[in-house]
Amino acid sequence: MKRLVLARRENPTRGGQPLAFLVGLVFALVIGALLLWSSGDPVIDTYQRMWERSFGSRDVISATLNRAVPLALAGLAVSIAAKMGLWNIGAEGQILFGATAAAGMARIGDSWPGPVLITAMLIAAAIGGALWALGPALARSEIGVSEIITTLMLNEVALRVIRYLQSGPWKDPDGFGNLQVTPLPDQAALGNIWERAHLGVLIALAVIAFFAWFMTRSVWGYELRIAGSSAKAATYIGISMRTKVLGVLLLSGAVAGFAGGIELTGTASRLNENISNGFGFAGIIVAALALMRPSGVLVVAVAFGGLQVGGQSIQLLGVSSAVSAILQALILFGAIGAGVLSAYQIRLVDRKVA
Amino acid sequence: MIFGGITITEASVIGLIVASLQFATLLYLAALGETIAERAGVLNLGVEGMMAMGAMAGYVGGVASGSPWIGFLVGGLAGALLASVHAVAAVALGADQVVSGLALTILGLGLANFLGDSYTSDTRRSLFKDVDIPGLSDIPWVGETIFSASPITYVAAALGVLTWFVLSRTSIGLGLRAVGESASTADSAGHGVAAIRMTAVVIGGAMAGFSGAFLTLDTVGAWSEGITVGRGWIAVALVIFGAWRPGRVGLGALLFGFTLALERRLQPFGIEFSPILLSMLPYILTVGVLVVISYRARNQPSPTPAGLGIAYRREER
Repeated sequence: MKRLVLARRENPTRGGQPLAFLVGLVFALVIGALLLWSSGDPVIDTYQRMWERSFGSRDVISATLNRAVPLALAGLAVSIAAKMGLWNIGAEGQILFGATAAAGMARIGDSWPGPVLITAMLIAAAIGGALWALGPALARSEIGVSEIITTLMLNEVALRVIRYLQSGPWKDPDGFGNLQVTPLPDQAALGNIWERAHLGVLIALAVIAFFAWFMTRSVWGYELRIAGSSAKAATYIGISMRTKVLGVLLLSGAVAGFAGGIELTGTASRLNENISNGFGFAGIIVAALALMRPSGVLVVAVAFGGLQVGGQSIQLLGVSSAVSAILQALILFGAIGAGVLSAYQIRLVDRKVA
Repeated sequence: MIFGGITITEASVIGLIVASLQFATLLYLAALGETIAERAGVLNLGVEGMMAMGAMAGYVGGVASGSPWIGFLVGGLAGALLASVHAVAAVALGADQVVSGLALTILGLGLANFLGDSYTSDTRRSLFKDVDIPGLSDIPWVGETIFSASPITYVAAALGVLTWFVLSRTSIGLGLRAVGESASTADSAGHGVAAIRMTAVVIGGAMAGFSGAFLTLDTVGAWSEGITVGRGWIAVALVIFGAWRPGRVGLGALLFGFTLALERRLQPFGIEFSPILLSMLPYILTVGVLVVISYRARNQPSPTPAGLGIAYRREER
């Protein structure tokens, strides 16, 4: 008697993750096609249009890059915390509060020249994001409260901070009774550098390149990796786990908040509660697919940016734009399955006869 | 009656209690399911997605069959089916529970919006009829609120008692809790860790689906995109607020349900306080409770299941 068993490989397949991502993508497209087909939507037309409207021309590629910016920065924020084995589920809220802080800065400096104002707004956004992570960071480093739920809860609070500001304190006096905040001054918009792509694309690239260096080559990043892999080893060589935990969560929050600032100055005319649009949650999927590596985050963020931009275009075909979210989630589940298969192998073994 | 500028009428107070019970029912069903999954050691952050699936499928099932009860069951089934994705990914394949759960929320919201696209309706009618308990529903105040509620409110209360009984008084519950505290010890003792965890996740999904179905079939009486408006996250919070115990989670559901109901009634009551600030309360309270639990855990046993969030692979034991 023979039977199939899953056996863990001695050495996991090299280069497995790009492959797992591709397997996930194929898996998602196949299941997505089945879903479309079963509800009577045109499969080929839908996919073709999604492709054309995300990577098919210079114009749409620039829109895809814009969308990739918050996804990549949120993914980076999540990866930074993950280096210490911490989960920042609060990127969504930090993006929102970062954008809120940037909008607050724009209210203070509404007469400042553009470059000065935008710089001040982006700094405010990073500080705002770090502040939003401060509570969970302190709770984790000082008392040991799991950061997963605390960061998650603050997402909902950040959303309501914006609603509150819309409802009164920052309410637009010229909004005809609409609940919206006063628009940003004109000079607070990031300029375009290529087609529709705004300067934030370059800024995000620079930030990611910096952290790719910082996390692997700097002393701080080196200590971080030691602390992340073994708390005992870190304590033994004199690295304070408390300050590392605190620092890494604040840094993660700052990067997410910065994403909110870029999104505000790059794409929005005023602060609103959709400024994050699920980027914080998608960023977690992006980071997981990229195995928390900055270079991988970049690639996956562009792919997800394309899916999101392409997904909005299929509504004109009468197909629900929810297809995009379904595909993003299915890529992850497909990649999880593929990742397990690359770590395991299916072997035929003799069955013991009892 | 007017107390210091606050206007109170009998009808408004009864309305407040009725709405509180509705919200509490919604939150309790989902939180009870999450309690079961977490007591087995599996964090499922997919509640919001499972609730949306239950809301969509429950409504469609209820309208198609003409019976709210069949709709309610269909909603539970949809939640359970979606949860089985998390069960396979996070338990059988050992993927990270946080990532898998969040992807489940994205998947569930996407699927509900996609599949329910053609069922969006503006007409709102509750398919469930409130049950008047004979004799008791005639009592003033109490009768009009507690004893003439939606049948699902009584179902939720019964499920709460059942969950408490199974978890704390039966060998099945003991096995489930053992798996949640220490999977390797439970495995040595002969419990099927993967099977118990997967079952707990699927049951949790069914209850989140029930919760969603209650929302569309009873409270709102219609399906539309984004109808769950983040209630799933409150349910996740509630599990912690109630320290993973069905009874305390129930009390928490009443408190959080009351805050949600009060949100829309501050102005009618003449209370000068921003309803938006009030709506932050459940999340902030939950963070506070977590801090207190962790602070106390230095001297006394923590109510958090010790194995929560930790994947279990037998060969790495």
